[in-house]
Amino acid sequence: MASTKEKLIAHVSKEQPAGPTNKVTVVGVGMVGMAAAISILLKDLTDELALVDVMEDKLKGEVMDLQHGSLFLKTHKIVADKDYSVTANSKVVVVTAGARQQEGESRLNLVQRNVNIFKFIIPNIMKYSPNCILLVVSNPVDILTYVAWKLSGLPRNRVIGSGTNLDSARFRHLMGEKLGIHPSSCHGWVVGEHGDSSVPVWSGVNVAGVSLQSLNPDMGTDKDKEDWKSVHKMVVDSAYEVIKLKGYTSWAIGMSVADLCESILKNLHKCHPVSTLVKGMHGVNDEVFLSIPCILGNSGLTDVVHMTLKPDEEKQLVKSAETLWGVQKELTL
Amino acid sequence: MASVMEKLITPLASGPAEPPRNKVTIVGVGQVGMACAVSILLRELTDELALVDVVEDRLRGEMLDLQHGSLFLKTPKIVADKDYSVTANSRIVVVTAGVRQQEGESRLNLVQRNVNIFKHIIPQIVKYSPDCILVVVSNPVDVLTYVTWKLSGLPKHRVIGSGTNLDSARFRYIMAEKLGIHSSSFNGYILGEHGDSSVPVWSGTNVAGVSLQKLNPDIGTDKDTENWKEVHKTVVDSAYEVIKLKGYTNWAIGLSVADLTETLVKNLNRVHPVSTMVKGMYGISDEVYLSLPCVLNSSGVGSVINMTLTDEEIAQLKKSGDTLWGIQKDLKDL
Repeated sequence: MASTKEKLIAHVSKEQPAGPTNKVTVVGVGMVGMAAAISILLKDLTDELALVDVMEDKLKGEVMDLQHGSLFLKTHKIVADKDYSVTANSKVVVVTAGARQQEGESRLNLVQRNVNIFKFIIPNIMKYSPNCILLVVSNPVDILTYVAWKLSGLPRNRVIGSGTNLDSARFRHLMGEKLGIHPSSCHGWVVGEHGDSSVPVWSGVNVAGVSLQSLNPDMGTDKDKEDWKSVHKMVVDSAYEVIKLKGYTSWAIGMSVADLCESILKNLHKCHPVSTLVKGMHGVNDEVFLSIPCILGNSGLTDVVHMTLKPDEEKQLVKSAETLWGVQKELTL
Repeated sequence: MASVMEKLITPLASGPAEPPRNKVTIVGVGQVGMACAVSILLRELTDELALVDVVEDRLRGEMLDLQHGSLFLKTPKIVADKDYSVTANSRIVVVTAGVRQQEGESRLNLVQRNVNIFKHIIPQIVKYSPDCILVVVSNPVDVLTYVTWKLSGLPKHRVIGSGTNLDSARFRYIMAEKLGIHSSSFNGYILGEHGDSSVPVWSGTNVAGVSLQKLNPDIGTDKDTENWKEVHKTVVDSAYEVIKLKGYTNWAIGLSVADLTETLVKNLNRVHPVSTMVKGMYGISDEVYLSLPCVLNSSGVGSVINMTLTDEEIAQLKKSGDTLWGIQKDLKDL
């Protein structure tokens, strides 16, 4: 006796069902991972989303909650498992796993704890998605992107750190508030370390190509009466402030991750400030990852943009690199 | 000496800024409220989003976190305050405030606790947005939508409960998975109480207009060898299960609220199963809110679809109505 399904539907295709074409995996279903997941889903970027974590109950609860929203989404397959086989054939793997900053704690403090977690995660990802692009979000992101690169064996174009994509977004938001203009029309790049020593490139700050520094040569210095320098300070303090108020940050980083995934999955060749290997650039001699403007597409980070930095801006990058290398050389990978 | 801004920009339009056209307020920045907020923002439904809550630090932190994402959004104004003046001129106000179910707790248990909170919230909302549409999400949603209606003094078509919009979405997801199709291609409604006694309308379930009940007349009954009835049970248990696993639910309800908001803001006249005042329908003589398929538009509930229900389904609706009225009549000071 035919089932209801058999009476309703006749399968006619003789082909094997095709696999996913732009699968995304999110490792870690904490606040950041789930914010990234919901942003990726709401932007219709992927045909399959996989979630992985070690906390099985939370993982199952989160995937069910997302699946229950399927009616409102255009991502047909949302799956989750503790076992990494669920991540197979991913185009992009977003790594948010690891410990997060406590109130007042700097990102660099999290290093060793998160390196140990990555020693488990990265080989597992690579086993099931050997050609993926790794997008590292966990902090301290520049060091952990280096760690992910070393542990994965991937070429440097396939390992990207979310870096100062968020810092730049925050900068542009604050700049927009000051000028009464939407952030997308306010251009400004924050580069270098994602953290306390990030570098705002004042010479590049512009609206409609009009350099703000040419209108105000003191911009970014202590002499500046309009104190634009404090805009950068607010960017650096942002994460600490939000953590103090709500315990963690999630929405902005989630949206910024979705923004990067969009450029990669849609092969946009868009330029983003993300963390990449900067050895040999701007006077940096160590194998460190720092954020500079990079072109992102479906083979990952294909090109970098040569910024024209002032000597003191380059000095800051070199100093960040030295700090990061100081931490990295002590790591056992 | 001219500032950077003065040198850069020459203003043309003078006069005060235009008021927002599609402002949405969300009351309560817990997990549900913020999931609604993010869904509404990422769907680009509003030109101004206001958040209200009593916990000031968390409120400010959530607002900042959303503002930091404004580069990626198309909602130019995101504000928050404990003071309801920040909500003025809202078209839609989503109420998620209140206490939530603990593990194993039924929604009806939350009632009096949430009524007291609403007595503070609702008059303030209406004071600053007298023409708004209120969308109530807090549980038990059907009772609290009634409470909101009473406290607001708004006409009944402007007060909507999120109701079984989510239950129906869960139902359609599970049924569609069983059939190997997308949820949106499976049509089916769950009506009545958003909770343990919701009513799956099996007669209406169909794919491409083909009625499942015609293919399987036992569907939804205990006689059914394929046990489709189990799907409805899974829907009822869903919330409890997700709460047990992750502590709360938020993503699905957030997406479902954004879906309703889209219909309301864009005046779409789409049909959604939402909680509305059903006195006079299906033999219900009390002033209760239950979910029925409603045509929603920019004035709220435009009309209600008269579903052809079986006697048993009507009896279930009436029974829910009686249960809800049993609770409502004992509520103090409405």
